[in-house]
Amino acid sequence: MNTSEIMKCAARVLYPFMLLYGFYIILFGDRSPGGGFQGGAIFATAYLVTIFLPEESRIKRNTLAKIEKVLFMIIILIAFSSYFTRGILFTNFIPGNSGINDKRIFLVLLNFFISLKVATGLILIISAFVEEGKVE
Amino acid sequence: MVIGIFYFTQESFLDINKYKNQYTRNYYIENALEETGAKNIVSAIYMDYRLFDSIFEAGILLITATAIIFMTNKDEKD
Repeated sequence: MNTSEIMKCAARVLYPFMLLYGFYIILFGDRSPGGGFQGGAIFATAYLVTIFLPEESRIKRNTLAKIEKVLFMIIILIAFSSYFTRGILFTNFIPGNSGINDKRIFLVLLNFFISLKVATGLILIISAFVEEGKVE
Repeated sequence: MVIGIFYFTQESFLDINKYKNQYTRNYYIENALEETGAKNIVSAIYMDYRLFDSIFEAGILLITATAIIFMTNKDEKD
């Protein structure tokens, strides 16, 4: 892969700002436009900007695949747990007569895990084409 | 047929009160904040009223990632 010094320098500068912007869109997903799916795409872009840099401490693709499956199970467990506290499947697990601010815990938690799952999925898809099918 | 599609979508964007099925729209606008706690109605819909579909959305990404990894494997020469 041909890289130039300008791309490496720009990737080093941009990476923390993109991570911060992604966190903002995810954590405020129930107040302003955004949420889990959109923030996950931003996380994936932030990781893929650093693909020009030399690979000393990059996460391997096998561990990313395992993390994605574990995160999918966690999302299903969070959605299922509303059956035990409320009697209804696939909804908020906080009882219905608490205040508005207490129900935000479920939304922020679900946004966070959905964003991580979407980010790992997109990283796996796009980096398969960059590395041209190497399996390590 | 294409002209008909363009004409009807433009008409529905201009005056939405002409098509008189507004029961679910009024329900979401009035009750979403108290029942879910989210000021963003889109977030309230895909995380509380329709969480079942969002689970399948996440499952589609999982299957896509495994399919692409399967198809871009290099064969090793024997």
